Amino acid sequence: MTFHFGYGTNGFANHRLDDALAVIADLGYTAVALTLDHHHLDPFADDVVKQTERVAARLHELGLRVVVETGARYLLDPRRKHHPTLVSEDQAVRVDFLVRAKQIALELGADCVSFWSGVGSPEAWDHLKSGVAAVLESGPSVPIGLEPEPGMVVQRLDQALRLRTELGNPDLLRITLDVGHCVAVEPQDAAACIRQAGELLVNVQLDDMLPGVHEHLEFGEGQLDLPATLAALTGIGYTGVAAVELPRHSHAAPDVATRALRALRAAEWLADAERAVRADPGAIDTLFPAAGRAVGAGQDAARVRLLTAFADVSDDPVDGFTRLYRYGTSAERRGVLRGLAEVGDCAPAAGVALVEDALRSNETDLVAAALGPFATRHLGRHAWRHGVLKCLFMGIPLTVVDGLDRHSDAELLRMVAAFADERRAAGRPVPADALALLGKAS
Amino acid sequence: MMRIFDPHIHMTSRTTDDYEAMHDAGVRALVEPAFWLGQPRTSVGSFVDYFDSLLGWERFRAAQFGIAHHCALALNPKEANDPRCAEVLEVLPRYLAKDGVVAVGEVGYDSMTPEEDDAFARQLELALRHDLPVLVHTPHRDKQAGTKRTLDVVRESGLAPHRVLVDHLNETTVAMVADAGCWMGFSVYPDTKMDEERMVALLAEYGTERMLVNSAADWGRSDPLKTRKTGLAMLDAGFDESEVDTVLWRNPVEFYGQSGRLSLEPVTAGAVDAATGSSVLRGER
Repeated sequence: MTFHFGYGTNGFANHRLDDALAVIADLGYTAVALTLDHHHLDPFADDVVKQTERVAARLHELGLRVVVETGARYLLDPRRKHHPTLVSEDQAVRVDFLVRAKQIALELGADCVSFWSGVGSPEAWDHLKSGVAAVLESGPSVPIGLEPEPGMVVQRLDQALRLRTELGNPDLLRITLDVGHCVAVEPQDAAACIRQAGELLVNVQLDDMLPGVHEHLEFGEGQLDLPATLAALTGIGYTGVAAVELPRHSHAAPDVATRALRALRAAEWLADAERAVRADPGAIDTLFPAAGRAVGAGQDAARVRLLTAFADVSDDPVDGFTRLYRYGTSAERRGVLRGLAEVGDCAPAAGVALVEDALRSNETDLVAAALGPFATRHLGRHAWRHGVLKCLFMGIPLTVVDGLDRHSDAELLRMVAAFADERRAAGRPVPADALALLGKAS
Repeated sequence: MMRIFDPHIHMTSRTTDDYEAMHDAGVRALVEPAFWLGQPRTSVGSFVDYFDSLLGWERFRAAQFGIAHHCALALNPKEANDPRCAEVLEVLPRYLAKDGVVAVGEVGYDSMTPEEDDAFARQLELALRHDLPVLVHTPHRDKQAGTKRTLDVVRESGLAPHRVLVDHLNETTVAMVADAGCWMGFSVYPDTKMDEERMVALLAEYGTERMLVNSAADWGRSDPLKTRKTGLAMLDAGFDESEVDTVLWRNPVEFYGQSGRLSLEPVTAGAVDAATGSSVLRGER
């Protein structure tokens, strides 16, 4: 039993709830993070009980597991975003809302109610604690997940854990973790946060982010290591909901959700593949070729990761790389060449043999991949210069050549000048890259 | 416009003129199974270069002409008898994992020797393990006995009949394959195997379900446009366009689609851009 990929309805703010659920399920998600809001199962509606019953039936029909989210922007106060919170003076309004959310969660069969602290001064700590205690004491026995949120009183995992400890470790108080937030504000990566939260983890939100910037990004746009993050979830035995959290992407929700699931499945495949290679290095023989169809556009990076895992555990990594190259398709050979920059230094001679083979080929991809940082470090100067010249012949932009400016020398410039003369003599145009290289030198 | 998927053709032996004519005729996709090259191989290395070529070079060549190229890989029955070649079965699993491989094939019988039995059974097992369908060649000599034995071996292998395409059938062998539930392949040739009129007669008798028509064009006298000519003969005989499309496109897509690796867009990545042509020319422009 593994965890369930879901999508947050706050990323479908321009959809009716029923439509959002249908789209999310149709795309292949098996869970949903339901943000209670004025237009999505309003907890203050007169017929909330009836509505909840209907949504519960719909979730069941669609086979969607659910968590309840409480981050709606203007549900409690039409003028002030997120107000009031558990650190506000009128905390009771928030407590009442969270208790209503617990009741709805119970009726939906949700895993938990997720909540955050609020923006305020650190002095509000004790006030926050009493608010959390009040939520725990009232209403039904439903787990509540405290989510560290950048800029709030509880913005990091260690603060959430401290608050729990100070409250006497109540069983129903757990942790919600947004892995993007980890990139933005935590001192350790998301995988480490997941391991630290361990069995207290009751809900996970998935998105990408850049360090220091609290802006929810699609996967691949930030610095989250998604495969390692998913591997950490598997590693701690997490079986709950892991839902995409992109609340500012509602305008293109179906497309964004499609891309997100594709990225998640590719990352999940890669995480499983890395684990398989670490358990049995021989598994790389079939996983390395399969990376193309499993991962798609990110296949080079995926293959480099497989090589790294392989190099860590194999008795004879050099023989392994050489075989993967020897029996590889063009895309696989490109992956091996890119991997040399990371793992080739342990056996430069074997790596150089592969680079030289690639430079003999007439495939632009292979020639380009051959002239990476490994070639800069280990390839003989003569062969390296011929590689650069070959790029000019094949119309490969010289931007692919690692360290070109640092390593250009008089001999290379002589060769390029002679090539330019030959082109002119034949009445053919001289490639702009060649002129640029010669121009820089003059 | 007749769209054509040739489920069995050896493009390695064909010219760019053929590719052009095929595209003009409506061929948009094909499967090239690994087979005997006419000149016997003497080592595993020769197979490996051939596999590399089917996965990369030939795929690229086809893409230049707007044709999606896939392949089936295997040790062919004829060369299964040469111990110097049989060792290729050790490296075959690596290759079956690759993109563009949509089946194990051609496997089956040539002279029905114990060596062929062994290679056939082992490769059916590989197909199961790699979740790939199988293209089975039926022998030229003693075809009826060979086809019967083929079906017995398939049954014993545990492969579902709908994962198996039994090829080079004719009037004397089609019934037993139809009864077994396998897909039925017919090679339409200028002189030997089937011709267009006999093919149309079989389609009239057996219907279009699970029926595939190929040119099996190779290094011998053969015609890569026989698929289209069969389609035209079907129309002349009163079949409608949808029935022609079933035989020439939908059936091969369904059969090879079972691999999960069929991609009907020509693959150009990994090789030099068609506009520059430098890869094809293998030298300076």
